[in-house]
Amino acid sequence: MTAPRNLLSLGPRRANLAIAAVALILGILVVGQLRGQSNVPGLSALSAQELTLLIANLNDHNDQLRDEVATLDQQAAALQAATANGQTTVGSLQSDLARIKAWSGAIGITGPGIVISIRGPIAGDGIEDLLNELGNAGAEAVAVADVRIVPGVVVAGAAGDLSVENTALGDVFEIRAIGSPEILLGTLTRAGGIVSQLGVAYPDARISVSPLDSVAIPATDRNLISSHGRPRL
Amino acid sequence: MSAIVARARAIPSWQVTLSVALLALGFLIAAQLAAEGPRVRYTTQERSPLVEAAVELQNQQDALKARILDLRSKIGTLEAQGPGSAASLKDLYAQLEQARIGAGLIPLAGPGVVFKLEDANQPGAGSDALVSAHDLRVLVQELWLGGAEAIAINGERITSTTAILDIGGSILVNSAYLAAPYKVAAIGPDDMYARLQGSASFRAFVVDRVQIVGLGLSVAELEEVDVPAFAGNVTVRFGSPVESASP
Repeated sequence: MTAPRNLLSLGPRRANLAIAAVALILGILVVGQLRGQSNVPGLSALSAQELTLLIANLNDHNDQLRDEVATLDQQAAALQAATANGQTTVGSLQSDLARIKAWSGAIGITGPGIVISIRGPIAGDGIEDLLNELGNAGAEAVAVADVRIVPGVVVAGAAGDLSVENTALGDVFEIRAIGSPEILLGTLTRAGGIVSQLGVAYPDARISVSPLDSVAIPATDRNLISSHGRPRL
Repeated sequence: MSAIVARARAIPSWQVTLSVALLALGFLIAAQLAAEGPRVRYTTQERSPLVEAAVELQNQQDALKARILDLRSKIGTLEAQGPGSAASLKDLYAQLEQARIGAGLIPLAGPGVVFKLEDANQPGAGSDALVSAHDLRVLVQELWLGGAEAIAINGERITSTTAILDIGGSILVNSAYLAAPYKVAAIGPDDMYARLQGSASFRAFVVDRVQIVGLGLSVAELEEVDVPAFAGNVTVRFGSPVESASP
């Protein structure tokens, strides 16, 4: 049997070597791809500065989660002990109820915080960016002109035509937030922060932020219970 | 025809293997390059421990959230088994359950929509071609305005304290690190998507970010959408509750 010349140009030994080399590269690439995907996706694209920011954010948040775990652990232990002793735990249940309702907006809340005065035309998108930054700074409760911000409440409209919960805001109104006054003030007013950004985007508007020892934020008027969703208890 | 078959049969098996391997190699290299997309890859040595620290902290966060959900479930069970049979205590348990549902501490299921938002597939388009925190905030706001009652992004429940932030080319929601694609699930009325389509600001978002920049946006209207519970901190540290008539 005669074979075409090009099929014989590589001997069996060289052919094996070629296959082995390709298989090796293939293996390295597959391992690299799999290792990259097993990591948190996208982390490899972050710069050192962004990673540092992410780590600081995760650290802070994990501390808060540990506090929540400790609170819930205590609550579970108290309930377990009460069940074992045949006692009731009305006091602890009431305090847990108040804690959840205060956080969700079902009841009013007071505490230290800041007041942000807005004077001049800003679009709803800008106010929503400001509210987002308040969340980032750890605000526990926020109200825009006495309307408590809860899921579903949106400040919308073009500059000069803002409204929240079907109430026109006008060009002069206040936003109040409860949280650490220093952190809230520092986050909003830092160089390049949200207040500076809004100042550039809306040059006719004036935004001032002041710390306060006591801020009162009302309960929401909304029904917080979903009418279309069923709880999966 | 038979000559072609005979020629094909004459090709040694090692050549076939080599061809397949080279083909796979080509695909892998192309996939690797495509995965880079517009995101900038940094190769400085100091990043490796930072990536490891971030991964470790994210794992800790996942474990803490799982623990919180577990404890809440345990507390719910203990309350249900509580020794109190008095009507006042039963009423208190019922109020607690309603408060937890209202606060987003209980998962919900119901009719709604799920949006999938993806980075634009345009090499060299820069950071504008990535889904940003602002894009997600706009979508969430549009859904609220369209009547949504519960929303989650990649499993992170949106609450009154949620911040959605850019971090590099990815996004933090409730301080959880999320990467594209982003699935925004919302429970709400049957006409929620129709309301969105009728919204001028939603249409402007679709034109600006999807049609012009090329972000991927798909939507499914479903009879059953799952929105998980918020697994974060609900303790107010600075504020004090003011007891008043509940809404």
